[in-house]
Amino acid sequence: MTTQTDSGPATVSLHSDREQLFRVRGLTKTYGVGDAAVHALAGVDLDLYTGEFIVLLGPSGSGKTTLLNQIGGLDVPTSGELRYRDLDLANATEEDLTHYRRDSVGFVFQFYNLIPSLTARENVALITEIAHDPIPAETALEMVNLGARLDHFPAQLSGGEQQRVAIARAIAKRPEVLLCDEPTGALDIRTGIVVLEAIERVNRELSTLTVVITHNAVMAQMADRVVRFSDGRVHSIHKNSQRAPASSVNW
Amino acid sequence: MFSHLDRKLLRDLTRLKGQALAVALVMACGLAMLTMSRSLIYSLESTRREYYEAHRFADIFVALKRAPNSVASRVAELPGVAGVDAGVSAQVTLDIPGLDEPASGLVRSLPDRGEKELNRLFLRSGRWLTPRGRGEVLVGEAFALANQLGPGDAIAMLLNGRRQEFRIAGIVLSPEFVFESRPGAALPDNRTYGIFWMPYEEVARAFDLYGAFNFLSLTLAPGAREHAVITAVDQLLKLYGGRGAFGRGDHPSHIRVSDEIRVLQTLSIGFPVVFLSVAAFMINAVLSRLLALQREQIAILKAFGFANRQIVVHYLKFAFVIVAVGTVLGAMGGVPLAKRLVVMYEMFFRFPALEFRLDPSALVWAALVATFAATIGVHGAVRRAAKLPPAEAMRPEPPANYRPAFVERTGIAHWLSHTFRIAVRNIERRPMQAAFTVAGLALATGILIVPNSFRDSVKRILGFQWDVIDRDDISIGLLEPAGVKVGHLFEKLPGVVSTEVFRNTAARIQFGHKSRQLAIRGMTADGEHKRVVDKALHQLPLPEHGLLISAKLAEILGARVGDQLVLEILEGKRPVLTLPLVGLADDLTGLSAYVERRALNRLLGEGDVINGASFVLDAAARPNFLRELKGIPKVSWVAVKDSLRASFEKTTAASINLIQTMYLVFATVVAFGVVYNNARISLAERARELATLRVVGFSSREVGTVLVTELVILGLVALPLGLLLGTGFATGIIGMVNTETVRLPLVLTARNYAFATLVVSIASVISAAVVLRQLSHLNLVGALKAPE
Repeated sequence: MTTQTDSGPATVSLHSDREQLFRVRGLTKTYGVGDAAVHALAGVDLDLYTGEFIVLLGPSGSGKTTLLNQIGGLDVPTSGELRYRDLDLANATEEDLTHYRRDSVGFVFQFYNLIPSLTARENVALITEIAHDPIPAETALEMVNLGARLDHFPAQLSGGEQQRVAIARAIAKRPEVLLCDEPTGALDIRTGIVVLEAIERVNRELSTLTVVITHNAVMAQMADRVVRFSDGRVHSIHKNSQRAPASSVNW
Repeated sequence: MFSHLDRKLLRDLTRLKGQALAVALVMACGLAMLTMSRSLIYSLESTRREYYEAHRFADIFVALKRAPNSVASRVAELPGVAGVDAGVSAQVTLDIPGLDEPASGLVRSLPDRGEKELNRLFLRSGRWLTPRGRGEVLVGEAFALANQLGPGDAIAMLLNGRRQEFRIAGIVLSPEFVFESRPGAALPDNRTYGIFWMPYEEVARAFDLYGAFNFLSLTLAPGAREHAVITAVDQLLKLYGGRGAFGRGDHPSHIRVSDEIRVLQTLSIGFPVVFLSVAAFMINAVLSRLLALQREQIAILKAFGFANRQIVVHYLKFAFVIVAVGTVLGAMGGVPLAKRLVVMYEMFFRFPALEFRLDPSALVWAALVATFAATIGVHGAVRRAAKLPPAEAMRPEPPANYRPAFVERTGIAHWLSHTFRIAVRNIERRPMQAAFTVAGLALATGILIVPNSFRDSVKRILGFQWDVIDRDDISIGLLEPAGVKVGHLFEKLPGVVSTEVFRNTAARIQFGHKSRQLAIRGMTADGEHKRVVDKALHQLPLPEHGLLISAKLAEILGARVGDQLVLEILEGKRPVLTLPLVGLADDLTGLSAYVERRALNRLLGEGDVINGASFVLDAAARPNFLRELKGIPKVSWVAVKDSLRASFEKTTAASINLIQTMYLVFATVVAFGVVYNNARISLAERARELATLRVVGFSSREVGTVLVTELVILGLVALPLGLLLGTGFATGIIGMVNTETVRLPLVLTARNYAFATLVVSIASVISAAVVLRQLSHLNLVGALKAPE
């Protein structure tokens, strides 16, 4: 299925129909100082485009999550270039980052991170209240097939349902980028597939750049490109000629 | 030295130092109150006891008309009597240079030879009287200080109407006059009332009592019953005009100190209980949170064989460290506070040396009570930890279960913001934690009501006494009763707008076994100057026949309207009269009896005479009036309302300010501590939720709103409750000040409520702001990881 392997940064020519969203050059992130210093990112080069479905693969500690945090504006890099359109994320203020996250980024976490005191609808509506041009909360929940469980509290939902609420919450603001860190990590296969289908559908219907971190190599079949990490660097990038539907993913 | 479990304890405490300190501080407030009041009780009681013992304070006192000295030995032979001291006690008028108002006082005799048997004096400065010397006097300290008199100074007195010059030999204290005050006066006016001691011969001759006595004190033999001795003494002295013996329990000076001790006793219980309850709630919240966090640690400890007991002790130690810190802080706060109050007491009570004495048992009590409160506080949480089966504890706590809050179910959900929903649902899920926060804030609000209510109450008394009752500007007393025509002379004085005359006399009023000595005030039936009013401030006209008395006096005597009171006039022919009680006056200070003036004249068997007058003056002409007044030789005293008012305000202001500062500090500590604790726990418990909000695009400020909304809701519930609670505190505490000398009315103003609300709000806002600053340090990346 993998048709091409290249070790350098992806080039514009491969994505002529798509607009570049992120430009990452020589990105490093170091935690701690001196002997205790940990180089979580040791110089990453990567470009990401609108509507792409990216899967990040790699062993624990290879830097996937650190990169995702930098792209999501949760953390700032130690050095290097990190641009989202015209916004210099590497040197942005706290306020800029808040606005960036609010308007442009959707997050989906392994442990859902819903607000336990709000219902499914309210968890989504919480975000649509502060977004510019949101999808109605109900519509977003319909997209993840939860139209029937709008008024349930997180504690009344299964793990897969909670994760789908989290996806609805993430996409309701019509983000340009959807970041998912191990979205199926805490779920069984069947539920995991339902969640992946929801992510896939969002990617397709809203043309949202979708970046998914996973330990599960078979999920790579769903991606446009598969980025492999090791030791804080991009080890390789594979481009799939054809994306497999989530329902066909088997693990 | 330390076990590893203790090391864990120390590190847990270091991590939670802010909250632990908040609890310790609230605890310290209660313990400071406890240490302070117990130490003051101890200081006052032990100082008084030692003073009484060393100076042989008598057990029973009796005033009489006149008895030959031989009668004293007969009293001494009565069964149960150990020692007797008889002498002369007489009222005198003073002439103090530089003092507008003539002053008065009490003269007591000292034996011509040897020392007094009982009620011995303490020489503060100067020297004792020269044996057989004349023209010398010993002066009570309070009066001497107020008038800046010292040994060697001269003082003029009118003894039985004869003016004499005396030289002050020494300044003294007496166990009989620890509280040196005119009988029945609310507060000491030491400038115009003093106690003096002179050789027996001099004072007895001046009052035609040589060879006799009119005042006797005695001590009881061990095991003697006070009541039996009083009955025997009364029986014996009846022939000699005995006015009824009384024990220490009715001794005016002794009562004042005992009253103070009683107030302190209430303080030493009430406030510590309240503060320690809040501290117990807070410690429960902190420990519950800690235990929730450490479920897995507890499970591991159990899995490795730690006994439940060890785990319980471990968490109890956590509480006890807080108790220890609280006790130390409480003692550190209570001791200086008590020292300040001792200085204040020195203004009122005259002891040879009133020193602060730390009651060591107070510290033990403080530690015990605090430990008890903490144990109650942590009991539930620690029990949960002990009951936790290891396997169960290994799993994280089940996810929090929420449901729509009560307010939403009422159908207004539509209008509620999400922040508001998060806040109310959280409050509903943790009702106890919310209740404790509300209780703490309500308490803080409540204790702020007390000092202002006290201040307003005193202000009301001043207004009542000097605006409602006494509407005159100046009143004067005459040396001797004079014909009512003198009143016409007064009208001609410069600046007089109106004048009213009166006839006052000293009397002993008795009903059943109870009696009091006071001034009977004979006034114009519906006078405008000195009014007698009922509860509703309606003027009560003085009846032709019968007495109006202070409601408090009726309460003391146990008399009701319609009862017959026995009135023993203490001047002239000293008639003993029986009069019906016809009405009660709701006066707020002292004890008084009122009667129509001419009716009093008739009762006294005298003509149409007066012995004083009151004036309303044209303010501009006042200096002229006073100047003319000094030229009238028959005037014995002048009371200028404004100067009385000023001296009253000066003495009370100092004590009220001290009390107010104390309460303000305590309330602030509680409000701050409670809000801090609540916000810290909310923040810790919901760090993940709040971080998630930050991640999905909420600003720090918006996330802070979630916590603040919760606090605001709790505050909105707490404040009205606090105002209610404060009303209760004020009612209780002010109600306690219902004594013969002063009866504080309960006054609660909107201003008072507003002040309490404001202080608690500000303290809460600052406290919340301190916690919210930590929101900017929320670990956003950590929120994405597995839950704790």
